[in-house]
Amino acid sequence: MSDPLPAALPTGGPALPLEIRVHGRGGQGGVTCAKLLACMFAEQGLHVQTFGDYGSERSGAPVRAFTRVDTARVANRNKVYHPNHLLVLDAALLGDDVLDGAAPGAVLLVNSARGLAVFSEGHRGFRVAAVDATAIARRHGIGSAALVIVNTTLAGAYARAVGIPWDVVERAYRTQDLESDLPAAREAYEAVAVREPEAGAATPAPRPRTPAPPRVLGIEELTEDLPARLPTGSWRTQMPRYRSHVAPCTAACPAGNDVVGFVQALRAGGVEAAARVLLATQPLPSVCGRVCPAPCMAGCNRSAYDGAVNVRALERWIGDRAGPEAGRASVPRPLRFAVVGGGPAGLSAAFALGSAGHEVKVLEAGPRLGGVLRTGIPAYRLPPDALDRDLARILALGVDARCGLAVDAAGVRELARGHDAVILAAGLPRTARLDVPGQALGGVEEGLGFLDAVKNGGGRLLGGHVVVVGGGNTAVDCARTALRCGAARVTIAYRRGRAEMPAISSEVDEAVAEGVDLLLHRQPVALIGNGRLQGVTLAVVEPGAPDASGRRRPIVTDRKATLACDGLLLALGQGADLGLVPPGWSVRDGRAFEGEGDGATPTSVWLAGDMATGDGTVSHAIGNGRRIAGRALAAALGAPAPAEAAPGPEERVSPAHVRFSYFEVIPPRPERHAAAAARARSFDEVSRGLDDASEADRCFSCGRCTLCDTCLLSCPEGVVSRSDDGYAVDEAFCKGCGMCVAECPRRAMEMTLEAAAR
Amino acid sequence: MAGRLISANHAAAYAAALAGRANRTGRGFCSGVYPITPSTECMELLCNQEIEKGEVVRVESEHSAMAVCIGAAASGARTFTVSSSNGLALMAENVYAAALLRLPVVMVAANRTLGPPWNIWADHGDTLMLRDSGWVQLYCADNQEVLDSVLCAYRLAEDHRVLLPVLVCQEGFVLSHTMTETDVPSQERVDRLLPPLDLPGRLAATPRVMGGIDAPHTTEVHRARHHEAMARVFGVYREVQDAFERELGRRPADPVVPYRADDADALVVSMGTIASTAERAVDEARARGERLGSVRVRMFRPFPAEQLSALFRGVARIAVIDRDISLGFGGVLWGEARGLAEPGAVAQGYVIGVGGGDVRPEHVAAIAADLRARNSAGRPILMEAGA
Repeated sequence: MSDPLPAALPTGGPALPLEIRVHGRGGQGGVTCAKLLACMFAEQGLHVQTFGDYGSERSGAPVRAFTRVDTARVANRNKVYHPNHLLVLDAALLGDDVLDGAAPGAVLLVNSARGLAVFSEGHRGFRVAAVDATAIARRHGIGSAALVIVNTTLAGAYARAVGIPWDVVERAYRTQDLESDLPAAREAYEAVAVREPEAGAATPAPRPRTPAPPRVLGIEELTEDLPARLPTGSWRTQMPRYRSHVAPCTAACPAGNDVVGFVQALRAGGVEAAARVLLATQPLPSVCGRVCPAPCMAGCNRSAYDGAVNVRALERWIGDRAGPEAGRASVPRPLRFAVVGGGPAGLSAAFALGSAGHEVKVLEAGPRLGGVLRTGIPAYRLPPDALDRDLARILALGVDARCGLAVDAAGVRELARGHDAVILAAGLPRTARLDVPGQALGGVEEGLGFLDAVKNGGGRLLGGHVVVVGGGNTAVDCARTALRCGAARVTIAYRRGRAEMPAISSEVDEAVAEGVDLLLHRQPVALIGNGRLQGVTLAVVEPGAPDASGRRRPIVTDRKATLACDGLLLALGQGADLGLVPPGWSVRDGRAFEGEGDGATPTSVWLAGDMATGDGTVSHAIGNGRRIAGRALAAALGAPAPAEAAPGPEERVSPAHVRFSYFEVIPPRPERHAAAAARARSFDEVSRGLDDASEADRCFSCGRCTLCDTCLLSCPEGVVSRSDDGYAVDEAFCKGCGMCVAECPRRAMEMTLEAAAR
Repeated sequence: MAGRLISANHAAAYAAALAGRANRTGRGFCSGVYPITPSTECMELLCNQEIEKGEVVRVESEHSAMAVCIGAAASGARTFTVSSSNGLALMAENVYAAALLRLPVVMVAANRTLGPPWNIWADHGDTLMLRDSGWVQLYCADNQEVLDSVLCAYRLAEDHRVLLPVLVCQEGFVLSHTMTETDVPSQERVDRLLPPLDLPGRLAATPRVMGGIDAPHTTEVHRARHHEAMARVFGVYREVQDAFERELGRRPADPVVPYRADDADALVVSMGTIASTAERAVDEARARGERLGSVRVRMFRPFPAEQLSALFRGVARIAVIDRDISLGFGGVLWGEARGLAEPGAVAQGYVIGVGGGDVRPEHVAAIAADLRARNSAGRPILMEAGA
């Protein structure tokens, strides 16, 4: 290496014979460090000897290793009592016994984040050197998260401090198969700070036990017999701590449910205990347990093992069995809230405010509560009684629901005057249009209107071939509903591929199993017929460059074909109707403001759910409804907005944190489904749910202690014990070996640096 | 630096593998192994060696490890195992069997204190427990000597005038885990040193009884022959030294290694690495003008009585240092060596470093001072070496 180094190297290298002592802790690799130093000298043609001071100590105990260098074969078989060079792998060990036998001028190299400030008055007589090997090794990923291995990094600093050329260092690491640690060693080689000894400065007096005065006349007084009490807690630099981390299911839930919490509550305490956890964040478990796309399951760490936990089915199990009572807080002066819209967002907001003890009025334009849950989701997926069960729980809070009451912008102003806050949650009433000729033909119909008519209007009869345009849940619902209404053949035409369909994947599978055809990469360009629809002309769509969402932009080609059909259902997505917001108002971050721009003043009117976000799933609407309710309540009380910080990625439990070997392989327990042939013509619910709640037993309980005793059993010192609130670690004896943290099956523990250690 | 930076455990494993491969044109190599601190690294490395016509069998106990060696050796294979301490105690029945069946098994022991209470450090008590088992015993003082002794051991054991198993002893950790530059010879050289094993009367196609019933008079004959074979070891070993020097270019140490003993009026007698320390103490004593010398007993069985008697001639004071103790008697080496001193000489026993204490030159100096102050030998002195 030709790079200039920050300080001049001492010339000629160290004097021989040379004795080196390495002080570290069990597990830090002190022996490898001493061997690496030996190798650096052996590479220069010198004779070396290196060995550890082996004992019964485990991880964390102070240990030593030695290296001797000479021009002739080393015959000395003793430990090193008068070191010329001292290396300290852990600054917390830098006490008098480390300096035992070292003469003025000896080299003292310490791994410390404090640099040369780690040295005190007593070290002035030494040639001292310091480097933050822990930080460097951690940056280079040497060791594990629980224990950073610093030996190879510190050895790099040593080479520089005593004047060993870099090419010798490189050769030594290669000989020892440690080439991958060279970058860290190089960084330490360059970063090490060195201070020359002060002439005449005293070093600590050698302690009398070194060398021990030889005694010839027998062992007269026996040293204290074993077992001696040895409070080994002073050895540690890190301490284990019980701390929950965030499970991926919980992190993924758009409703903000404590997923691992309710699953574990179900396992340990049954349905009512689980319902208490679940209802803290969402009032529609029977609904979500049926229609949620379940990102919790996509994120489940168990999918890296034997299949994700069937969380959605467990939520349904709880929702279908929990009693109608939900806890209602009592406040001295209840506030008054109005919620416009009785869909999932509005209901969620109403439930949150009602649970908090306030008066809530829900205004629903339709004849009954539920919004899209009532009108847009077919009965074979969401039977009305499941929705009613959840609604009963909301109404039991005393929520005042008024149906058939449409509100307009003027009405909103009126409501704002009479209430402490108004939450608008009108959903996405505007359906997207298809811009092709022939839309007025008989047989062409809006998908959502069709679904509502079938579910609430006494049914419909279809025949022949029905084409559904779209790829979302509404499209799939329309297709499967059309089959159930008697269509001989149903085709879904979608402009992108199967993988890009926004619909819940298992729903698409079920539709295909029931006989629905998928016609992908097709877009209608004309509807053909004479008063009544006879066919649809579909153009081939090619995937173009990815758009902002990462999906490939569809490019309509002029390759076309006409498909004969008797009905066409449009499911192209919906948009919000912001006509409810009074003229002259603006909306920012879920809140309505009077006026626009910087001068706008906040009102007590809030927007929630799809109307505000357009996220499009029930669980997103529930989560947003509850959060907006929390902000509206805080604003009404003059309190600061509640914190909504999402946990950072380092807080999450990933598959790498889970000790799979602790868990038995148990395949997921699926819900029972009616056979495809039997269900395809019936509106009975397709999924019959789980047979029992044993699926909850499969939950790893990522990040949350289950009192499984693994930490207690794996502690080599036996210093973990059960306590009233979990476990206690005996600080007097814990060496900080990290075994409990490494063995914890679910990352319910972590190692923390002792403040005094650095 | 010449050679590789390896521990004595690894040096022993390389030697065993080289010897094993050297028998590839014969009946091959077979080793039964079971781990125990501080000899485990030896068997681990051996398990990872590629040995043509070789098999390392991982068994369920030290007793079985030696049983594997006995069976394989009886069929003409070159054999090896390694153990320590309580492992040797469990193995003991088959240790005797290998010798009494006159099988040229080679074993390395990393010396370790017997327990309980448990102590993993160096102490010669474990291999001295096997003193009367009929094996040749060699005690080493450095890593290269361990490697060379294993190779010598095969040539010695397999000589038809000997046909005895050989135990190569190295102190746990002090040698077993200490790394220093060690020359590992090429296979070609080892092939020349160790021609294929030709075991007389080996088990082959024709069934044959080994170790059947021995009547009193046949046992007397067997013991006498075994004892005579032991006596022939000294002569054969000299030939082994010659052959080794011829093929590998260095001469293995003699059964007894004197150091500045010629004109000494006081001698320190010891085994293993304590002798290296004693030699350093001798240098320091000579610098002070004392006429101190050291004698290292490298071959403990057969016991080199003649060589020691010759060295003790005219010496008035002899200190025998044991890293072992025969409880109720004293040091084992002292018990054997004291009778070789001249009448009227003081032969005092010192026990130090049992349980792995670090015996340093100052301890040896203190022993020498105590010895000089004596006009007669007393009971053995038990000393504290400390940590």
